Amino acid sequence: MTKKRFNKTSKCRFCRMGIDEVDYKDIQNLQKLTTTQGKLFSRKRSGNCAHHQHSVKASIKRARFMALLPYVT
Amino acid sequence: MYEGLFLIDNAHASMEWDTVVKHIHDVLQKNGAEILKTEKWGEKKLAYKIKGHKRGTYLLIHFNAKNTAVATIKRDFQLSDYIVRSLVVKDDKIEELSQIGVTESAGDKDVGKTPEPGIEGVAVPVETNVSVKVAEEG
Repeated sequence: MTKKRFNKTSKCRFCRMGIDEVDYKDIQNLQKLTTTQGKLFSRKRSGNCAHHQHSVKASIKRARFMALLPYVT
Repeated sequence: MYEGLFLIDNAHASMEWDTVVKHIHDVLQKNGAEILKTEKWGEKKLAYKIKGHKRGTYLLIHFNAKNTAVATIKRDFQLSDYIVRSLVVKDDKIEELSQIGVTESAGDKDVGKTPEPGIEGVAVPVETNVSVKVAEEG
C-alpha cells in the first residue's frame, strides 16, 4: 500500500500565485525574500522551486542595480 | 518588446520634466524604436547613494525596437546628462500589458472609446446612440 501524499499544494509561493516570471519592479514581494541585511534567502529558506529561485535571483539583482533594493544595509 | 527603467536626476526632474521625457523619447525614436507606454513613478528615496544623489525620479517606458538598435540605445542613455542610471530589459510578455496601458491612456483622451471590459456594457450603447444621432443629422 502506498503512502498518502498530504502536501499537495506547491511550496513555492510563485507557483501557488501562478506567476511565471518574477518582476524586478515588484519590490514588496522581493523584500520578503531577503534578510534584513539585504542578502538573498536560500532556496531551502524561501521554499521556491528552481525556476522561480533563478528568477528571484535575477530580479533582485536588477532591483539592486536600479537602487530599488539595497546591496547592503 | 523592451522595457526601460530610467533613474532621472531630481534637479532636472522637478524643473524640466517635459524636456527630459522628450529627450528620452527622441533618443528612442532616433534609433527607430516605437514607444508603447510611458509611466512616471514619481520621486523616491534611493536604496543607496548614486553619484551623490539620495533621491531620484523613475520613468518606465515600454518600447519596441530592433535588437541591433538596443546597444546604441543603451549607450546613448549612458551618455545622457539627465539620466543617472538606466536598465533596458527584454520582455515578450509586455505585449499584453502594454496594450492595456495604451488603450487606457487612449481612453483618457477620448472618453467614448474606453474598451475596458467592466464598462463595456455601458459604453457600447452610448456609442451606438451617438453614431445613430450623427447618421440622422448627416
